[in-house]
Amino acid sequence: MPTDTRRIQGPETSNSPYDFCPTATSDPALLEKQRLDGRDSAQMRPLFLRAGVISQARGSAYIEMNQTKAICAVYGPREVQRREDFSLKGQLTCQFRFATFASQHRRQHQQGNQEKDLSVQMLEALEPAVCLHKYPKSQINVYVTVLQHDGSVLSAGILCASLALASAGVEMYDLVIASSAAMYNDLTISDPTVQEEQAVLSRVGKGSSGMLTVAFMPSINQVSAITSDGGIQFDTLNKTVRTVIDNCQKLYPVLQQTLVKHIEEKKKGISSK
Amino acid sequence: MSVDIRLASSRGKGADLYHGEDPGNIVTPGDVITADTGFMRGHGTYMEEDCLHASVAGTVERVNKLVSVRPPKTRYNGEIGDVVIGRVIELALRRWRVETHSRMDSVLMLSSVNLPGGELRRRSEEDEKMMRSYLKEGDLISAEVQNVMSDGCLSLHTRSLKYGKLGQGTLVQVSPSLVLRRKTHFHNLPVGASIILGNNGFIWLSPTQDEQDGDTGGYQTNLQPVSHSDREVIARLRNCVLALADRQMLLFDTSILHAYEASMKHTVKELLKPEVIADVVDLVRQRMELEGS
Amino acid sequence: MADVNLSEAEKTFILHSVQDNFRDDGRSCEDFRHMEIETGLISNTNGSARVRLASTDVLVGVKVQLSPVDPENPEVGRMEFFLDCSANATPEFEGRGGEELASEITALLTRAYGCPSTMDYPSLCVLPGQQCWLLYVDILLLECGGNLFDAMSLAVKAALFNTKVPNVTMTKDEGGIELDVSDDPYDFKRLDVTGAPLVVTVNKIGHFHVVDASEKEEACSLARIMLGVTQTGTITAMKKEGSGSLDADSISDMMESAKKVGVLLNKSLLKALGEEEEQGTEAVGFLR
Repeated sequence: MPTDTRRIQGPETSNSPYDFCPTATSDPALLEKQRLDGRDSAQMRPLFLRAGVISQARGSAYIEMNQTKAICAVYGPREVQRREDFSLKGQLTCQFRFATFASQHRRQHQQGNQEKDLSVQMLEALEPAVCLHKYPKSQINVYVTVLQHDGSVLSAGILCASLALASAGVEMYDLVIASSAAMYNDLTISDPTVQEEQAVLSRVGKGSSGMLTVAFMPSINQVSAITSDGGIQFDTLNKTVRTVIDNCQKLYPVLQQTLVKHIEEKKKGISSK
Repeated sequence: MSVDIRLASSRGKGADLYHGEDPGNIVTPGDVITADTGFMRGHGTYMEEDCLHASVAGTVERVNKLVSVRPPKTRYNGEIGDVVIGRVIELALRRWRVETHSRMDSVLMLSSVNLPGGELRRRSEEDEKMMRSYLKEGDLISAEVQNVMSDGCLSLHTRSLKYGKLGQGTLVQVSPSLVLRRKTHFHNLPVGASIILGNNGFIWLSPTQDEQDGDTGGYQTNLQPVSHSDREVIARLRNCVLALADRQMLLFDTSILHAYEASMKHTVKELLKPEVIADVVDLVRQRMELEGS
Repeated sequence: MADVNLSEAEKTFILHSVQDNFRDDGRSCEDFRHMEIETGLISNTNGSARVRLASTDVLVGVKVQLSPVDPENPEVGRMEFFLDCSANATPEFEGRGGEELASEITALLTRAYGCPSTMDYPSLCVLPGQQCWLLYVDILLLECGGNLFDAMSLAVKAALFNTKVPNVTMTKDEGGIELDVSDDPYDFKRLDVTGAPLVVTVNKIGHFHVVDASEKEEACSLARIMLGVTQTGTITAMKKEGSGSLDADSISDMMESAKKVGVLLNKSLLKALGEEEEQGTEAVGFLR
């Protein structure tokens, strides 16, 4: 192969130095006694939400679960761009992105497989909740960007998107609440951080361990999405599904209150900022 | 709960599938059928240098002076008066587009349907607006071919009470060439179900309706649950029809009833298995030969 | 997937048939259609399999290749899935038509096989920290007649069972270690697939659920869950699909069904594969 002499010769591939650092993951068994941030296993992180953070979007929301931070904008309903996609039911599109600086490793700007997968899962979680038959020939676009990734991003994304859709005045059957849990043998850790996720997933195969995310609509008691990773014993999984649904119930009032507050502020004519 | 995984190698080789009557004269494209100029050129043939050549692979058929070649698997070639079953795929100006497994989409004009209630009058603008409430996308209809246009597009009509929208039941699709042309294609089988054998290879199985139900022209569909026994009969008929089609047996009321009777010693779901299919079809074939039909 | 448009009455008929536990082809809700399987029918691959589930037809080829290890997991082998929704199956897949479906299926398979207990990944590592086997699992969809996910996972597992990975000898050189891949076709090792998962799709139709749905039944179902189930009943992946939502209580029923069927399916598959291995009959291939 002819070489370009003007260019500095380097190795063909390069790796991030983080790959060679010993990872900070601890044995999940230790989590039984004490989680890294001092929570007990069933405790979720405090949830902070605000609607109406992007003034130009039809609806928007911001979510913070300690170090997991995400922002969401909703545009539309507007006319479908391509005529051949004509349908009497409206379309919902979701795009889930990580900011390039969101995780420990810098991410590529192009949408990766993980992001595509998460986009589809988010779409499936939200689609059953939105009254799409009320929006013929139109599309609603949901964009979620994770600013900082510290675990449970999918549930954060869904919560944020659901609030943004509601604040955009899109007709919905119910708010979609999502929550995650990590499992390690008999231990169930609610709302795991990224370290806990990695700890659990790196132990996959040695006993039963894995991750579960459930999206739930509390008022109509319907599950709109469910997804799991890792190798989990059937009974553990079944039990955890119930635990996670209970957790969703707990989060429901937070979303409701945020929305009520958002509407009140709008009514008073105070800018939501 | 049952799972049946078998090996491809355990399947019988193709040879034992065929033990029927002589298939006749089989030709492939380009074969000379005859050098005799006294014959007329039919479908599936072309004339070159005074010889009649085949343009499709199939069996040679001769009606008086007309020679044609019939391929075993083909799209449906409509003929006036055929009974067909179709699925509405699109609504257009004063017409429905219907999929009938024909080369082109078939057309059902608003003026060639019976309006609900059987009124006979000119179609008004109101009727045009109501078209979707009569038949919408996805609906199945039985109809008759009214006309074949020069481009091969079929024009259908449902101007008889026996035609119209189909209610609850199962549609089975087979090759059109397997459906035998008969005087009637509507049968109320004595086993307790109705069957419509569309010339286009669409076969409709449904529970037998009471006589007075037919009067609505099929626009009101009965969505009450079908009884378990009716369902079982329909499922068995469905599997019998597919079994016969799988072994290239002609489909008409007698062959289907024979298959139904031959299948009685098996449960309905066993009829999906190849060895049971072979067994049932063999019995039917023997019985047909015995009865000389 | 090929779009099936059904009329209201047909949908009602199917819905009631599921309620009745007597489907339109006579199966009960937890019955699979019969399927046919063959392995080792493509000579250019290290392992191949073809599964025909009613009219769904899937061909899988596995090719192995030495490649640098993944820096995040330097001591295990790698596996990559690729699905070609060929336009042979339906003209809708022409061009980029099948890509969405393909990425959905490969994502699920990647997840189901992502769990380290599913395969003996460390044995696929040739030189820890440097070289490992990369398994390219290429799936070709030849015909679709419903229940693609399950059929593909069956074919993948069968092809992995059939895969022969050449043995590698290492010689220490002054410059480093030299790897020599054996070119003797009988010098190989097999993969252990006892832990490999199968995908079971459970479709919700009305208030009940069915496994191995036909295309018509799929058109009646608004929501389905897919589970990666191993022979021991461990769940390696779960996913809900479709525009509908599911009742909280029915989910555990559906999971229960999927697990039960999945365990049986795994057992039957391994039994059939074992039989084929013993018989060692000549390939049937694509001739019917």
